[in-house]
Amino acid sequence: MNLVGHLRCFVVVAEELHFGRAAERLGMAQPPLSQRIQRLEKELGVRLFDRSSRKVELTAPGALLLDEARDILARVDRVYSVAERARLGDARAVRAGLPSDLGGPIVAALIAAFRERRPDLRLDLRETGTAEQVRALAEGALDAGVLRHPCAARDLEFGPMLAQPLGVLLPAGAAPGGGEQDAEVDLADLGAHDLVTFPREEAPGSHDELLAACRRHGYAPPAVHEARHPQFAVGLVLAGTAVALVPRAADGSTPGVVWRPLAGEPLSLRTSCAWRAPDPPDGVADFAAVATAVLRREAGMTPLDRAPARRVVPRPSSGFLA
Amino acid sequence: MSATGRDTTGPGTAGTRRIEAAFRDAGVTGYLHAADIDTGREVGLRADAPVVLASVFKVPLLVAFYRQVADGVLDPTEQLTLRPQDRTAGPTGLSALLDEVRVSLRDLACLMIAVSDNASADVLLERVGLDAVNAAAADLGLRRTRVEGSGRDLFETLLADAEADSFGEVWERLDEPGVLDRLRALDPVLTSRSTPREMTRLLGAVWRDEAAPAAECAAMRRLFGLQVWPHRLSSGFPFDDVVVSGKTGTLPTIRNEVGVVEYPDGGRYAVAVFTRSLLPNAVLPQADAVIGTSARLAVESLRRTP
Repeated sequence: MNLVGHLRCFVVVAEELHFGRAAERLGMAQPPLSQRIQRLEKELGVRLFDRSSRKVELTAPGALLLDEARDILARVDRVYSVAERARLGDARAVRAGLPSDLGGPIVAALIAAFRERRPDLRLDLRETGTAEQVRALAEGALDAGVLRHPCAARDLEFGPMLAQPLGVLLPAGAAPGGGEQDAEVDLADLGAHDLVTFPREEAPGSHDELLAACRRHGYAPPAVHEARHPQFAVGLVLAGTAVALVPRAADGSTPGVVWRPLAGEPLSLRTSCAWRAPDPPDGVADFAAVATAVLRREAGMTPLDRAPARRVVPRPSSGFLA
Repeated sequence: MSATGRDTTGPGTAGTRRIEAAFRDAGVTGYLHAADIDTGREVGLRADAPVVLASVFKVPLLVAFYRQVADGVLDPTEQLTLRPQDRTAGPTGLSALLDEVRVSLRDLACLMIAVSDNASADVLLERVGLDAVNAAAADLGLRRTRVEGSGRDLFETLLADAEADSFGEVWERLDEPGVLDRLRALDPVLTSRSTPREMTRLLGAVWRDEAAPAAECAAMRRLFGLQVWPHRLSSGFPFDDVVVSGKTGTLPTIRNEVGVVEYPDGGRYAVAVFTRSLLPNAVLPQADAVIGTSARLAVESLRRTP
């Protein structure tokens, strides 16, 4: 039997728990799908689903086999992706994801530094948010990435953790200290302004952490606007609608807006390279080394020995096993 | 539990979209099942996904305990003397006390549910037996519910997996990439687990006097009604004439509550909400509150005319 094909059917039925919907997703009719599941059950000698007239439920053996099946399918996908790369022969490439807000000069510096280090390899960069990078790395659609923490880390390895303090982007007229560039702004003084920041779906962990840290330091924005493109954020700042929390721009300033550091450095983005563990393809280690060096040099990121220790004073209602 | 033919558990119905949006706004992934205890009408979102029980494991333990009481295997008034050095750690109940206590088995059950006392739960689990808990769940048709061990066992795996010597150190290390992902206590394949649908099925059985004889079911309902926590399921029903009974479950990134909501018109609904947050913050009030909000959205959709 075509075990992989049958397992794929099994996984889709298990996800939908509905033969009609599963058949639709698989682009096939329902009767052959039911027959495939029956054949698979016969082959494995266990019942995978309980079917009543109204409901399809995964059995206990089915639940156990679901994870195994997903694992096999992910590996099969990887076989195809490795084969595709092998077919491309000498045009070997490292496929890497980058967050969309790094800025042009950093992307250019990264490409130049990689070319110098590995002239034999092509660097195929894709603008990809953290959440999508984690998925693509697991599926083998990317070899490496530059992503924001915290993120789901199963089966990934990370390069050195880099921290980048955030400051605030204000309309030029509204900035304290007039022309003085290093006049600090207190986060709590931003209280009345809306916030514009990167979309949550790009890096949900980092987005939530940023908002939590804002609240912790006295800034609860009345509204949060999500800007996919940094220039859209600048537009909202220029219009006086919102302030943006961003790293110090590497390429100088945009007319009409000014960047100010935050008092006490309460906010920072944590960034690192990531790749699938173990045995990353050739070139991934070089990409990670180059990207880490460029981010330190060009983006003002500084290495953290380890993630800052989280200080938690336990409360009864949030204690372990409350 | 029979559905009425209207499938509200699939993706994309208007009700589940609102629930999904509420979970998203709170920064969690939510798993929910709500069922009318008397008609079987239901609402669900990922209702059959395996979920980490955390302290909700005390619910199947309570049911197994009262079934043994009903069978005469255990005497609920039997007194035990518990020394502080033998008791499992925790922030409430006997876990928080400093001195030796003398207490009955049924009062241990009370502390285990009312304040999620870990010391009481582990003593009861030892008396009831892990196999008996899983056998009771299986007997009630809960084939995907499994209790893997005591609170103490769970703490030991947490410390071992985080390579930490204390709970404080576990918290400190949660921002290191990979630490959360290697905690077995947070993996529904490896730790005590169930599904939202099976938990509402279990509560429905307790409220319909099917999980044990009527007297024992009434005793269990009393304990769920005594639970002290106001921040989760209860927060969604800020109405003086609505009764909310339940049991929470909490671990880093995990916030759960299963319970029953009863309206003065006789409507009663079993609700199970399991959440996972992206952030490992111990205090995330919006993640607690969305358990109540999502439960109210689900219950209100069940209360609208079919």
